[in-house]
Amino acid sequence: MADQERQVDRRGFLNDTFRVAGAIGLVGLGGFVAGRRGRSDEMLWQLDPHKCIACGNCATYCVLDESAVRCLHNFEMCGYCELCTGYFEPEPPSLTSGAENQLCPTGAIQRRLIEEPYYEYTLVAELCIGCGKCVKGCSAFGNGSLYLQVCHDLCVNCNECSIAVACPSQAFRRVPADQPYLPKHREGTA
Amino acid sequence: MNQQPSSRPVGMLVATLVGAVFASGLVAAWRIDWWGEQGNGLSPRFGYSLEAYRRVDPALVGYDEVDRVPVALREARTMAVGPEDRLYVAGDLCILCLSPSGNKLATIALEEEPQCVAVGGAGHAFPGRMYVGLKDRVEVYGPEGKRVAHWESQGPKALFTSIALAEHDVYVANARGRVVLRYDLQGKLLGQIDGRDPDKDLRGFIIPSPYFDLAMAPDGLLRVVNPGMHRIEAYTAEGHLEQKWGKATVGIEGFCGCCNPAHIALLDDGSVVTAEKGLPRVKVYSSEGQFVCVVAGPEMLCPTATITEETRTEHKMKVHDVAVDSQGRILVLDPSTQSVRVFQKKRQ
Ligand code: SF4
Ligand code: SF4
Ligand code: SF4
Repeated sequence: MADQERQVDRRGFLNDTFRVAGAIGLVGLGGFVAGRRGRSDEMLWQLDPHKCIACGNCATYCVLDESAVRCLHNFEMCGYCELCTGYFEPEPPSLTSGAENQLCPTGAIQRRLIEEPYYEYTLVAELCIGCGKCVKGCSAFGNGSLYLQVCHDLCVNCNECSIAVACPSQAFRRVPADQPYLPKHREGTA
Repeated sequence: MNQQPSSRPVGMLVATLVGAVFASGLVAAWRIDWWGEQGNGLSPRFGYSLEAYRRVDPALVGYDEVDRVPVALREARTMAVGPEDRLYVAGDLCILCLSPSGNKLATIALEEEPQCVAVGGAGHAFPGRMYVGLKDRVEVYGPEGKRVAHWESQGPKALFTSIALAEHDVYVANARGRVVLRYDLQGKLLGQIDGRDPDKDLRGFIIPSPYFDLAMAPDGLLRVVNPGMHRIEAYTAEGHLEQKWGKATVGIEGFCGCCNPAHIALLDDGSVVTAEKGLPRVKVYSSEGQFVCVVAGPEMLCPTATITEETRTEHKMKVHDVAVDSQGRILVLDPSTQSVRVFQKKRQ
């Protein structure tokens, strides 16, 4: 897929986020999308989720104390599984929201029953550190609907992004400020 | 003569600048963690690994790999076994027909990517007839590879993932519709099975990813995978649930991940061969659902140790399909080695 096709402007991202993707916990979402009012000639850093291998560097190489990279959820790709492998440990003691069952070390994913046996998983941006553990869990068995993005209300847009330098997958690139996100797309989900 | 002293400092300045640019380039390249070896500095609890689940107790493995049939397809998706154990492999806009030893017998070109294929055996009204599932409809081919019919489309929202044949019925799994469609041999839709029964707390087929497999059993009941429930279910032609079994666990006795098994096949005695995705494992269960043995585990089916944790779509572990031949051998379509791997029961 052409890179351009994957880029979306803020309106497109909002559509993806609210209407189909519903990406991040509502508290975090306000800040996430409202963040930078970029001009179209300004370029920002973003990571391509289709290249990312969720190596963990995004959590630790950002110049900020708390990384500007956070996890998002594309609801359109999600299977709403009872046993979400992005939420649960590979062999959870039980399928409840008990901390011992959860994969995310910071408890940044919320699980909510929609209708038996469908569950909705929502990200709490404030708790996510962008480690990518859930991204790996979701990709291993599921549809890969969890993915990382640079959050532009946090990112200070360094000249040389420290994570981009450390990224083993060359997933970072500059994107126009009016198309600052590279959301994941549905690929063959049922 | 007078120009020499002034050009030397300029040259030195240029050389210094070029050297500095080159050196900073080298430093930048050196700082890139090309292979992710420098580590992320996170504590181990932020790490994700399926390594502990890759190993299978050798005592549980009941089959040996005895042969490998190369499949010359870039993306082999699914397969079926036909009369005389001919192999029909679907992918790359065609059905590739191979002899059991791997000789190419025919290539049937298709206009769309095939999603599933079934070939009539001795128990079907037309042995050798081929039913090819495209995304939203079935195409029917005679044994010689000539198209004899194409059935009505189920619309843009359909996604056919499996076909199973009874003597006079053709069952088609529609993953997006979460139903099994029952057709007669002329392609007339006779009914559908949705697996729902509120009185018995049955919520239908839960299909989070596009794997929804069927197989016709010797007992005359249709076996349907309910992947989101980690179950195999048995239905009559009218859609009555007669049996269900299976449990969710990464342990070898159950089905791992959010939705498994991805594919099934049936042995002559009704035993069920299952293939899981994510952590690829091919196993055999009795017709009642008791775990019998492992055919091949992740160590055998994963081309690299870390592929199960890969997040990039194009690098991810491909899903294995399974079939059974007339000798009771288990065939595993392995897209990563582009072959059909043949497993035979171990002699005690
Ligand atoms: S596992 Fe890591 S990336 Fe995923 S939600 Fe938790 S902190 Fe964020
Ligand atoms: S540009 Fe700077 S602030 Fe933004 S993600 Fe990279 S290192 Fe962090
Ligand atoms: S550093 Fe690169 S590969 Fe690693 S998590 Fe960040 S974007 Fe993904």
